[in-house]
Amino acid sequence: MKTSQTTRIALYVYGVAIIVFLYLPLVSVGFASISKARYLSFPIRHYSTKWYAEALRSDTVSDLLFTSLKVAVIVTLVSMVVAFFGALAFARYQWRFCSLFQKLILLPIFFPQTVLGLALLMWFNSVGVIPSWKTAVVAHLVWIAPIATLIVAIRAYSFDPALEEAARDMGASTVTILREVTLPLLMPGLVSAGLFAFLLSWGNFPLSLFTTGADSTLPEWLYAKMVSGYSPLVPTLGVMSVVGSFALILLAMSIGWLVRSVREARAG
Amino acid sequence: MTSQPILRLRNVVKTFGSFTALPGVNLDIEEGEFFTIVGPSGSGKSTLIRLLVGMDEVTEGEIWLRDRRIDQTPANQRPTCMVFQSLALFPHMSVGQNVEFPLKLRKVPAEKRRDRALELLDLLRLPQSYYSKRISQCSGGERQRVALARALAFDPEILFFDEPLSALDYRLRKTLEKELKDLHSRTGKTFVYITHSLEEAMVMSDRIAIMNKGHFEQIAVADEIYGRPVNRFVAEFMGEVNLFDVTGTDGGGLSGAGLESHMNGHAETCGVAMAPGATGTLMVRPEYVRFLASSDTADFTLRGILHGEYALGSRIQYEVETLGGQVITVEKLREDRVDRQPGAEVVLGFDGDHVHLIRGQ
Repeated sequence: MKTSQTTRIALYVYGVAIIVFLYLPLVSVGFASISKARYLSFPIRHYSTKWYAEALRSDTVSDLLFTSLKVAVIVTLVSMVVAFFGALAFARYQWRFCSLFQKLILLPIFFPQTVLGLALLMWFNSVGVIPSWKTAVVAHLVWIAPIATLIVAIRAYSFDPALEEAARDMGASTVTILREVTLPLLMPGLVSAGLFAFLLSWGNFPLSLFTTGADSTLPEWLYAKMVSGYSPLVPTLGVMSVVGSFALILLAMSIGWLVRSVREARAG
Repeated sequence: MTSQPILRLRNVVKTFGSFTALPGVNLDIEEGEFFTIVGPSGSGKSTLIRLLVGMDEVTEGEIWLRDRRIDQTPANQRPTCMVFQSLALFPHMSVGQNVEFPLKLRKVPAEKRRDRALELLDLLRLPQSYYSKRISQCSGGERQRVALARALAFDPEILFFDEPLSALDYRLRKTLEKELKDLHSRTGKTFVYITHSLEEAMVMSDRIAIMNKGHFEQIAVADEIYGRPVNRFVAEFMGEVNLFDVTGTDGGGLSGAGLESHMNGHAETCGVAMAPGATGTLMVRPEYVRFLASSDTADFTLRGILHGEYALGSRIQYEVETLGGQVITVEKLREDRVDRQPGAEVVLGFDGDHVHLIRGQ
């Protein structure tokens, strides 16, 4: 079908509007972070990178980043392992309670995160666990592991069960099948699940707010500073956080690309 | 083929819950033969092959590979291998890695694996440059060959095939059928093939088993099954056929379905003699039915109206409706095309040498 002139113009306008809507706020945060002034005001009179220097120097900031990173990395790794086996149970095997399992595992995604966070906090209290970044890991996992499972399950659905059967038929043991066939085939799904898990944990606010106790993650601190005691460190850390996420995605993509080209080079 | 069968099934039963897929199968497959199991979908042939390779467990009964009982042996410890319907080539591996997979599992050194893989590519008439190709770069026919090479690399005692040609287009299928038959004679291995296509079975097989509702209707060589089916199911399953319900008459002849018999006593030699009052089904394949001119004679004749004419490529198919309302199929080579218009009254005839009597049905 040929798009008419008007449709094309409408599409351009729509596209640009979306981009402006999505990215302009980010740009303004970027500007705010390089303002020299203590308070946010436009137009910015004096530009400076002093807040970046401050951020890099500050112990608070490195503590925050370290806590957030710690939580996100553990959540990512655990999610990937849970998602791998969960997805196989979800999509590849037929067992008695499979359809119940499929529904139950999705349920936490639909809970409002604040309710989930509150519920978990009350539960931690009632079993006598003192909230810290470790309980936040558990809280994040309750919400993120199902999402990761779903992402891997989509991949698991799309590959032919006969591949595993063929490997078995040719003499492979269960462990060999997992290593040589199932894992490599699910790998793209696992990588995306890992990325999602990291980014969802890294940016999560409501669950962390309820469950980190005395520890604080980056989003929590940003919010607290916004409410009282604003300084340009807030947009600065915001920008650093976005850039960090972006770098992670680039890294994952280039690793994927590298693995592919190495594999091709080896085959060729 | 006088030695001990390579594969023996003794009263093999498979049930799924309350559904009995195989009520009790007995079968002997000879060393080195190309054995094909043909049946409509739902006949139990796929269930059977899954039991044979060990993907599913038998509910009851025994499977013997020479003098070893294998029905309780898991798939990865059986010396047999299957080419899957979907081929099940590993998409994350190159052609070479696929072919070498069974060797890698046996810890064959890399160099030997490579030599063997290249040898097998040769055997399957794939250029050696394919060794490093990705599966996604191969065409449908090439994938078939890769799957075969991989199965042969396993060096199985019996090679099973689960309809591997069903997804290919007609021409390619025809080519590969012949290649597979050729490969069978070159390797000397025992092939057990499953298909729903009679043509495939006829082209390739030494023996054919016709399967229906979990049991074998007939196991025989292709000509036997085509020309002398044991019952209506086999007759109808094996291609176009004309069947007539007949009854034995007093003179040792037979009648029914508008047929006029002129056998004049040689019913005996043609194997269609019937006791008076006995019932049966007389079968004649469409290629043996002739259009008779007024001066022609035949052992059996039949009157009808020519209905339609269909071109089947090298052959022409005619449909003739008898006075009793039965539609008779006639096939002629294109060069023997009959010059009669639809609606014309025709006399059909066929001879006792070309008919087969299925008694008691």
